This record gives sequence, structure tokens and C-alpha cells, in this order.
Amino acid sequence: MDKDEGQSKANIIMVTDGPAIPNPRERRLINAWSIALTGAILSLLLLCYAGPSSYREALLFLPDGILLTFKLTALAICCAVPLGLLTGLGRISRNRCVNLIASTYVEVIRGIPLLVQVFYIYFALSQFLRIQGVPAAVIAVSICYGAYMGEVFRAGILAIPKGQTEAARSLGFNRFQTMFYVVLPQAWRTILPPVGNECIAMLKDTALVSVIGMPDMMQRARSFASQSYAYFEAYTVVALVYLIITLLLSKIVSVIEARLNYYDRRK
Amino acid sequence: MFRRLLLSLATVMLLCSPAAAAEKFVVAGDCNFPPFEYLNDKKEPIGYSMDYITEVAKRAGFEVELRNVAWDGIFAGLAAGNYDILASTTTITPERQKTFDFSTPYYGLTQAVIMPKGKTIKSLAELKGKTVGSQIGITGVFVLRKANVGAIIREYDDVGLAIADLAAGRIDAVICDDPVAKYYANKRKDFEGKLNVAYQTGDKEYVGFCLKKGRKDLLDRINKAVEEIKKDGTEAKMMEKWMGSSK
Repeated sequence: MDKDEGQSKANIIMVTDGPAIPNPRERRLINAWSIALTGAILSLLLLCYAGPSSYREALLFLPDGILLTFKLTALAICCAVPLGLLTGLGRISRNRCVNLIASTYVEVIRGIPLLVQVFYIYFALSQFLRIQGVPAAVIAVSICYGAYMGEVFRAGILAIPKGQTEAARSLGFNRFQTMFYVVLPQAWRTILPPVGNECIAMLKDTALVSVIGMPDMMQRARSFASQSYAYFEAYTVVALVYLIITLLLSKIVSVIEARLNYYDRRK
Repeated sequence: MFRRLLLSLATVMLLCSPAAAAEKFVVAGDCNFPPFEYLNDKKEPIGYSMDYITEVAKRAGFEVELRNVAWDGIFAGLAAGNYDILASTTTITPERQKTFDFSTPYYGLTQAVIMPKGKTIKSLAELKGKTVGSQIGITGVFVLRKANVGAIIREYDDVGLAIADLAAGRIDAVICDDPVAKYYANKRKDFEGKLNVAYQTGDKEYVGFCLKKGRKDLLDRINKAVEEIKKDGTEAKMMEKWMGSSK
């Protein structure tokens, strides 16, 4: 069983994109993660304190944008994770109707670029529905990532050996109980790293909502660049800030992953 | 290997030299800004600025290639040398003059506020607490930010998106150059009867063709042609052609 699980896990991690989650068992001081983080922080500090004043101005222009980026990401995670779970369950459902709905949703959404979805929800639907900026951005991002996460949940659930389900069923659990008390708690360990990855990717993709006039981090940088003509400075600063945030988040995901996997560690 | 490289380099240089002799300059404009520069049905850049620079080129004796580029980063592209001349309704401001050279102005405009039909204001101060849309990095944004009236400014990729959002009722006003405001409020069928120009600032701004610093010879030739076009009445004709019907 252990071998099975290890293998399926490797498969799942292979198919995700997004930043590499640092390996929690990596004990060495110098690794890709620490080099990237110290490098990013040092260059940001160096540029802001020793570089031309426009770097400092660019950084000071960002804070409310950073807040909005976090707000959008947090709201979108809250919507996308349950949506992903539902979609994942729908995709493995035996009910043909539910299965078709979930599968079609995944197929359709995964085939449309997020940028197009943002425009569609904000500008195209505005003739019938007047959705304000923040809700529109959250809806677009959650619908898009719900589909991606659905696949992650599906793969994670399918990775749990069938024996677990059979054992639970023979003990008298119904299908619902089997899923929620036996399969999902175990699947969660394999699902978490790729879901964490998707959340980090989501944070990066919120940069797209600057096209609907949302003053997120990216829009603040563009705005600063357009009034100061300091394009290099503005985009360097915003790239470094994004990098620092995603590196920190990927560390958090790896810590949570390590805590969930403490049985593995003991071996 | 090295010899082959040298040979191909020489060929490229040979091929390039006749093109350089014909003197062709690339003109860039953000073609989302009617009636100054926008795309016609055939995806060709048209508009007042485009007509103007073509006329300038004819009189100054060079050829132009009109190119549609995004406004966001348009100055960076000029600085990088991706194109030679900006004909994109660039207002001459002291900040921009620090980095770029401008020709003699070819149009004078003011900032206009568009609001839903029937609403008017008497000063920018009345925009306090209102959400005002505009395009990233156009002078309308700078004017409103400088006026510091407490309006919430939302910046879009192009002014058309801001106006679409205004028509959808999600923002209260849009600020942009007055010919553009009049074009959208009075000439565009899709916004007919929905919008009007609510206010116009008194301060005149002047727009010029924008060049990288250090191209004095080209700038002088452009300026000379602009003077001619103003004097012989061609400018007035072009204004009537592009702005006349949306007044």
C-alpha cells in the first residue's frame, strides 16, 4: 500500500505547474528556496536604500495594491477550494448527470484563458448583470481555479487505494461516510501540495484583474510606471515583491505538508 | 563558422542599406483613442494624428509606417528605439520633456468629464467621493490626481473600457481628452443617449509628436512641416474631418 501511495503521489506532483514547493525534509541551509528568498529581499533592500529614489517611490506606491491582491486571493481561495472539492467529487460521481455537469464545467473552463473569463464576466455580462469589480474578479478567478482544483481533488481521491473504500464499505459505512471519514482525510495529504501550488498560482494570476481597473499590485506598478516613466524600476520592484510573497507562501505550504505527513517522517 | 557568420552579416548589411536610403520612420500610436488614432474596419490605423503625421511626412520627404501599440509602455518603447515617432495624442508636459523631445503642438485640448446623460458638474471638486475611470497614464489621471479632490480613480487599459464601465453604471464618471469624450458621448451609436460631457476644464493642453532626445534634424523637419500645415489651412480641414461631426 505504501508503495502505491508513493507512486501516485509522485504522479500528482509531476502534473502540476506552479512554483516548486520546497521539500520539507531539505535540511541544508543553502538551497534553491533560500537563495531565491535572500536574493530577492537583498536586492529589494539594496535597490530601495542604495539605488535611485524611483525604486523607493515605486515600493511606497504599492502597499494598497498588495492588500487588494491578498484580499482577492483569500476570497478566491475560499470560493475555489470548495468549488474544486465539489467538482472533484462530481467528476468521480456515479450519477451520470452530476458527472456530466462537473466534467463539462472542467472542460469548458480549462479551455478558456483566465484573461478572457475576466473580460467576459466584467464587460460582456455587464449588459445583464452588474457585478462590481471585486466580486467580478473573485468570481472569475474562483471559477477558473475551481476547475483546475477539481482535477487535483479527483486525482488525489483516486490515488487512495481501493482497499480503503472496500474496508469501509464492509464495515457498514455508506458511500457518503466512506468518502468523508475514510477517503478524504487520507487524500488530503496528497492533495494539499498541489492545491497549495494552485493557490500560489492564483495569487500570481490575480495580476490579470488589473485589466478591469482593479488597483491590485500589478495595476499600482503600471500606474506608477505610467506617471514616472520609470518602467524598469516599477516592474523590477513589483516582480521582487511578488517573488518574495510566493516564496514565503510556498514555505508555508511545505510546513503544513510536513505536519500532515508526520507518519512518513517517522519512518 | 566564423567566415560564414561574417558573410551572412555582410549580406544582411547589403540588404539593409537600400531600405535606409529610402528613409522610412516607424510611427507608433495607441489606436484605442478615437478620433485621434484608432483602427478602421481593415485594422489600419486612422484618425487625426495619423492623417497629420502622414501629411507631415509627405511635406518633409520621408515615408512612414504606422503601427498600433499599447499605450501602457508606449514611452518605454520609444526610449528603447522600437519606433521613431509617437503620434499618440501625447500632451506636452514638463515631466515628459525631461526624457523626450516634442514637436510644435498639432492640437490643443482640455480635459473633459463624461457622466451619464443629464448629469453635469461645475468643477472637479464635485467629483469628491465619486469613482472616476480613465486610462492608465493619460493626462486626465494626472490632472485629477493633482487636483486632489478626493475622487477614487480607476485606471483601465484603454479609455473605451472605462467608458463601457461608465455605461454599465459601475463608475460615476470618466475623465479624458475632450475630443475623445465628445466622440464617445456624441458620435458612438452604442452609447447614444446614455452619456454626455458633464464638465470641461479651462486649462489648455497641447499635444505634439514625440521623439527620442537627440534627433534634432528630424524634429526640425517635422516642425517645419507642421508650421506649413497650420499656415495653409490643411490643419483646419483635418480638424473638421475628424472632430467636426462630434462637436
